[in-house]
Amino acid sequence: MSTNDPQQQMIRDAMQAIAQRKPGKTKLVYDKTKRTIVAVAEGSQTPRALNITADDADMFAVATVSSVWLRQNWPQLLAEGNVRCQFSSWDDGDALTQCNLGPLPSASVAQAAIILAGGGASVDDVTLRIDLKPIKEAEATPSDFVAPDGTWYRASGSNSEQSVSTIFADVQPELATRRSGILETTILADKSVLLIGLGTGGAHAALELAKCGVGRFALVDRDRLSVGNVVRHPGGISQVGRFKVRVVRDLILEKNPDAAVTTHVLDLNFASKEELKKLIAESSIVVCGTDNRPSKLLVNQLCIEANVSAIYGGAFRRAFGGQVLRVRPKVSPCHQCFVAAMPDEASDVEISSSSDAADIAYSDLPVAVEPGLSLDVLPIANMVAKLALTELLKDKPTTLRALERDYDAPWYLWLNRPEPATPYSDWPPLSESSDEMTINRWYGIYFDRDSECPVCGNFLSNIAANYGLNLDNFSVPQSAAGATSMPVPTED
Amino acid sequence: MWTTEQRQRLYVEHETLQREGFTQFSVYHNKDNDTYYASGYATSNSGRRYGLYITIPSNYPHARPMMYVTDPLPLLMSDGRRLAALGLSHYMHTLEPSSNGMVQICHWREARWHSGIMLFKVFLKGHLWIEAYEQHLATGRNLSEFVGTMAETA
Ligand SMILES: [Zn+2]
Repeated sequence: MSTNDPQQQMIRDAMQAIAQRKPGKTKLVYDKTKRTIVAVAEGSQTPRALNITADDADMFAVATVSSVWLRQNWPQLLAEGNVRCQFSSWDDGDALTQCNLGPLPSASVAQAAIILAGGGASVDDVTLRIDLKPIKEAEATPSDFVAPDGTWYRASGSNSEQSVSTIFADVQPELATRRSGILETTILADKSVLLIGLGTGGAHAALELAKCGVGRFALVDRDRLSVGNVVRHPGGISQVGRFKVRVVRDLILEKNPDAAVTTHVLDLNFASKEELKKLIAESSIVVCGTDNRPSKLLVNQLCIEANVSAIYGGAFRRAFGGQVLRVRPKVSPCHQCFVAAMPDEASDVEISSSSDAADIAYSDLPVAVEPGLSLDVLPIANMVAKLALTELLKDKPTTLRALERDYDAPWYLWLNRPEPATPYSDWPPLSESSDEMTINRWYGIYFDRDSECPVCGNFLSNIAANYGLNLDNFSVPQSAAGATSMPVPTED
Repeated sequence: MWTTEQRQRLYVEHETLQREGFTQFSVYHNKDNDTYYASGYATSNSGRRYGLYITIPSNYPHARPMMYVTDPLPLLMSDGRRLAALGLSHYMHTLEPSSNGMVQICHWREARWHSGIMLFKVFLKGHLWIEAYEQHLATGRNLSEFVGTMAETA
């Protein structure tokens, strides 16, 4: 396609004009009598004219440049006349997105140069060139770029075939504007969330928090993304084999490029306790999405010791439902209070991988892997994220503050379906019930903190008081090795 | 290695055993290597004596202690085979044996353990297991058929 044909060039210019047009002034029409494109006042009737819509104008490739990156590289651009960079080339070059905008470039990357007037002599080898031309501030539109020295520039891009519309993206201000109606604060940028367990639920909660503007994340998980995970996990098939912490880190950065994310491939056990302790101490809140009791209880123990609030989310088997527990240390019941108080069906956990099954199996009997649908895990992950957000914004003047009144219970229960052979199997249909319990509603449930809890209560002093024991004198019978008449078990 | 709270807990465990009618069991401190264990002899209804030994893990009480039958050794099944040779067995309520061939009783499995469970309850489950084991010896049927009372609630 030649760009020298004058009529084609006229159409291109007109269509670029419509793409960059300010609203509320004029519109472009194709005047059939004049056989040309003209601008008419918005709202005026123009018979024998064909309206041109933004859709019609959408025939150019679009290049998106990072304003932050360009401002940072402005001194080099001034000194050398051009600066080189790379663009993800999506959809056969239809969209060219500067790689610096996010963590995940496309498979095909275009070499590019951004050029100031007269600085393009040495850039013949690039696929995409973006020329910057100074303009008067009065002419500037939102699609123009303002340099660090206050000068305005308009960009015109081109590749070997055609001109390319150029857009400058100022990522953080744009994202912040979209959130500000509800969150009305930038306080989340300084908050740090530790997510432990990045299965489907944990990963979704992490992404929701990133979209809300949470600025710091620490991610803990031991597993790699497998093909079987892909039907539920936000990570996609192209990412299979990577550790989930790194997959989720990149997805977070796709949503909030300024977030600080650290990743920790860790098994949760006594050996990793010290590292975990350190991560908890640095966190504003902990979100625990592991699906076995020992790891949740370990996190609970460390969070109570560190006085850090935690949200525990979990799905029941095949995700027929799920529950969320919010623990405010020594104020609301802790996870130990919860497991000691709840009947066994409350810990009817989902078993979503064979390693979970191995952890849960106490015997030689195989335990079936019973994962649920993403569809059924998401309501629970959403609730986890909302409760975490409400904790992070506690006492801050935002629209979400109203939720502090509603989210007053420590424990939340959700049912996706009335699973047979559970206490929920005969819940009535949604249409029949306005006050009985039904599926697809959150229930906030009160239960009391156990004042004699061994983790958050006075377990030891209570027993000591009952038996008249002095805890300062904690001695038990001494026994030297081999002194007992009984043979003892040995470990390798 | 042990926190003061852990040492206090073990002291409270020992005293609770004495006060709840489990005086045949004690918590012991091995001063040579600063480890703790709990042990003693359980006597079955039929009058036989069994040695029970509980190892105390370093994250106790948050981590599950392990309970072994130390005596008689080896412990045999009704057909004369060594019970420890089964290893992990749902039907006999056993976990991996010690390296010197002692049967490990499954009292609470890992996924059901929590720090509110006290050692006297673990010894109680040891007692129940021994009664079921003797039923197995008498009938040849699986031990798991006799341990309905070992329901995992605490
Ligand atoms: Zn508690």
